[in-house]
Amino acid sequence: MVAENETASPEEVPPKALVLAVRIIDTVIGRGSGLLFAGLVLPMVGGLCYEVFARYLFNAPTIWAYDVTYILYGSHFMLGAAYTLYKGSHIRTDMLYEKFTVQWKGIVDASMYLFFFFPGMLFFMFAGWEEAMQSWGIGERSDASPWRPIIYPFKTVVPVAAGLLILQGASEFMKSAYAAIKGEPLIESEPPVLRGDIL
Amino acid sequence: MNPEYLGLILLVALITCIFIGFPIAFTLIILAVVFGYIGFGKVVFFLMFFQTWQIMKEETLAAVPLFIFMGHLLEQAGLMERLFLSFQFILARVKGSLFLGVLFVSTIFATATGIIGASVTVMGLLAAPAMTRSRYNTALSAGVITAGGCLGILIPPSVLLVVLGPVVGVSVVQLFAAAIVPGLILSGLYFGYTFIRCQIDPELGPPLPPEEQPESFWMVIREFFLGIVPLAVVVFAALGSIIAGLATPTEAAAMAALGALLLAALYGRLNWSMLREATLSTLGTSSMVLFLAVASNIYGSVFARLGTATLITDTMLALPVPPMAMIIILMVVIFVLGWPLEWPAIVLIFVPIFLPVVEALQSDPANPLLPGIEPQATLVWFCTLVAVNLQTAFLSPPVAMAAYYLKGVAPEWELSDIYNGMMQFMVLQVVGLLVVFFFPEVALWLPRVLFGG
Repeated sequence: MVAENETASPEEVPPKALVLAVRIIDTVIGRGSGLLFAGLVLPMVGGLCYEVFARYLFNAPTIWAYDVTYILYGSHFMLGAAYTLYKGSHIRTDMLYEKFTVQWKGIVDASMYLFFFFPGMLFFMFAGWEEAMQSWGIGERSDASPWRPIIYPFKTVVPVAAGLLILQGASEFMKSAYAAIKGEPLIESEPPVLRGDIL
Repeated sequence: MNPEYLGLILLVALITCIFIGFPIAFTLIILAVVFGYIGFGKVVFFLMFFQTWQIMKEETLAAVPLFIFMGHLLEQAGLMERLFLSFQFILARVKGSLFLGVLFVSTIFATATGIIGASVTVMGLLAAPAMTRSRYNTALSAGVITAGGCLGILIPPSVLLVVLGPVVGVSVVQLFAAAIVPGLILSGLYFGYTFIRCQIDPELGPPLPPEEQPESFWMVIREFFLGIVPLAVVVFAALGSIIAGLATPTEAAAMAALGALLLAALYGRLNWSMLREATLSTLGTSSMVLFLAVASNIYGSVFARLGTATLITDTMLALPVPPMAMIIILMVVIFVLGWPLEWPAIVLIFVPIFLPVVEALQSDPANPLLPGIEPQATLVWFCTLVAVNLQTAFLSPPVAMAAYYLKGVAPEWELSDIYNGMMQFMVLQVVGLLVVFFFPEVALWLPRVLFGG
């Protein structure tokens, strides 16, 4: 990693390339994917409300609402996982973690990213990729409803979500590795606003 | 080595790793892959995809982002604040008015979101300054805010119940119906307790100063219809249409989100930046819950395939304790887990481990858990117990998180006062838990009346 090549000196500023890499990933992958996929909730609302109105007002339930709903819902939370990682909102047990120093947090996170996160997500991407490719190959359609929409784009969501997580994870790894080595945060991170949203 | 024991090591590894503090979802995935590969080879990769796919295709769970979206819309549009001010204004002459206002608003907001931390944080921000200014008793104020926020876990439409339904394999509608009576009992206990204490000792919560009181009855009526009724209509219409079978929970959640959007527009609070923030918060919160659901589903399937789930069930069933004592043991374990862990982790990882025990207890013909009750209904009762239990755990000082969320937004309050207040409401919670435990009808009556069986 870049941070490991740096020689320590007291008033040293973080290496520009490292900060730039982290900022680019955070902006493009973290925030970018968030802004892109957060909007999926709106057509979800729209589709379901239309279904209710169609059923009760026009007495004509739709054939597509069921499939559209789960496709949007599944894509929404899977593709949003990278944004959630960027926001630091994936649930962790902070009973001990909260009491760690910045350096110790960095050591825990950096080693967990290296030995747990990246291997796990690579397997996840690999497994998703295999299934998605097979699905594209046979032009698979959904069997959940009579509408039978094509399903391979939705299956592709799995490897894409894993890929986004790996990219955002790279940024998180650089941040925690820097903190582990230098004992101070690489950049002033945004406060993880969502941490308190769910007990 | 027996695969069953491999699974036990997997469980120990998980619990150790959870406490180090890395995000649980990623820990679950890698542990499942490694142990699954050792246990039964390459099938684990297929299993990993299949379990993910199962969650992604579960249309019922689409209600999770939709209810969360409704909650964040109401919060971002400042409608919680509006509601609280209305209650404060209407109740200004009543002793302990701010307490009652907070309980009313949290009950409605809890109904609206099912998110605890959000309720505690928002209510703390709104009510704590007003309570301090009016020289309210700090402990009771803190207790009311935290307890009110935790009501959201139980009172439908609660996100916890939406997640619990597919996990346990009972319909979310049944769970909603089962939670209504216990939810009302608990909020009744809360109201009664604060009201009586303020009648006995008005110093705890004096009426507001005359300049904050409404001048005429007409103003009270006006405020009621402008500030409270619209939001209440949206929330209760959603709940009512689910219970009446007019809409699925998913559809009702979407309609409620639409209602929240319309309300925000009517109150003149709808704009792009508010909508962007609400959708982004929704994405983060629902992805947190649902990605964990994916990870736990992968983990759970590896765990089951190794045979460890059966091993645990058999071991527990072999314990020489009566069925009800077994339920008490499970409840104590869940209660203790509720201190360090958030509810999604408990509901998604640990409830599936305990579930076969409950099912086996009920299906014992000689000595069933609840004699004369359908197996499905027993699970509904168990789920209600879990929800009330978790609510209790989240109110138990000094380990519960609610205290820290409140301390975060009301730094001038001492932690010891906050603990003191939470303790009082925790006692009420335990009363509620015992009622549901000893009188299963409390949970089972309404579903039976509504859906028969």
